Amino acid sequence: MTSNVSMKCMKCNERAVIRMRQHRLALCKDHYIEWFVQQTQRFIEKYHMFTRDEKVLVAVSGGKDSLALWDVLWQLGYHAEGLYINLGIDEGLHYSNESERLAREFAEQRGLVLHVINVEQAHGETVPEIARRTRRGRDKPCAVCGLIKRHDMNQAALELGFNVLATAHNLDDEVAFLFGNVFHWNLEQMRRQAPILPESPGFARKVKPFCRFSERETAAYSLVRGIAYIEDECPFAEGSKQLLYKDLLNRLEEVEPGAKLRFYLGFIEARDSGQLVLPREEEVPLELHPCPRCGQPTTSPGLCAYCRLFERESLEASETQRPSG
Amino acid sequence: MSVVLILRKQEFKIEGTITVKEALKRLNLSPESHLVVRNGELLNENDVLRDGDVVKIVPSISGGGR
Repeated sequence: MTSNVSMKCMKCNERAVIRMRQHRLALCKDHYIEWFVQQTQRFIEKYHMFTRDEKVLVAVSGGKDSLALWDVLWQLGYHAEGLYINLGIDEGLHYSNESERLAREFAEQRGLVLHVINVEQAHGETVPEIARRTRRGRDKPCAVCGLIKRHDMNQAALELGFNVLATAHNLDDEVAFLFGNVFHWNLEQMRRQAPILPESPGFARKVKPFCRFSERETAAYSLVRGIAYIEDECPFAEGSKQLLYKDLLNRLEEVEPGAKLRFYLGFIEARDSGQLVLPREEEVPLELHPCPRCGQPTTSPGLCAYCRLFERESLEASETQRPSG
Repeated sequence: MSVVLILRKQEFKIEGTITVKEALKRLNLSPESHLVVRNGELLNENDVLRDGDVVKIVPSISGGGR
């Protein structure tokens, strides 16, 4: 039997569009937008992410989270420009080209500046093609894709004069990453997981203003704001561990509202207060060397991991020169 | 007549009147990772779906490499 108890906004008594059990809050469309924008500003200030005097480069994928982040920063009046990286993923869906079209449309509608990098135009190969050719991408292109995105985002931020790079990682992303790291005791990654990674020589500051919003909340924001985003999942994400972890954690959230947020905030607090002791950084800081090709810092002399992806000619040459037998 | 629910181009039909929460449960979908939209309007879990309604189920979870 259907129980029809209408749900009302707790601020104005209009019909609610969302209920957030972890916050014990139900809101109508207008109050949800207001709450979401205000909360983002609160997180930016709480974690000292950036000020109104700083230029922010927003990494946009054409998906709901990154376009929502750019929309919120625009509404808050920040100087935020977008960066889209066309990875050349097609797989019969025109995935990258459609994502780029939506990112461009979003920027045009708001009069915002979008910078575009096209991997195939830059390197003569798409990400799936690079992945098929290299050991790093042998099983799945995700590792190659991540490496290229991290490198290109940082390089673009530095070259375009931004010292802040904002990504739309949300609570589900952070909790799934943390869960995976705990499950595999990857302590080194746990040391570096935070809402903000400070800038250092050769690296822009990286911030995650959405790190406390669930993915459901960011999706709801995009829907009520009428943002057109790519709804198809990346064709290579199917079967990923991150999706599996997110599903498991959402099943837990159903029976224990607020579990994800408590897990994440509990970890950050325990680590930052010293209750959770993770391996410290090397007593002697790692010596970083500029990559002779791209100039970005790398831990060992010679080409960085990104530039080694494109060493096809020299690798092929060394293969042919190697003595047989 | 029935309620038609569309999830990633796949159609599901449910007979009779049902809440959003019950419909998601019937399809074994987590309400934490799915939203329901009718005529462009986001529905809450207590909103009622009736015969003739065509609603879209929007997955909120995505993911790949980090």
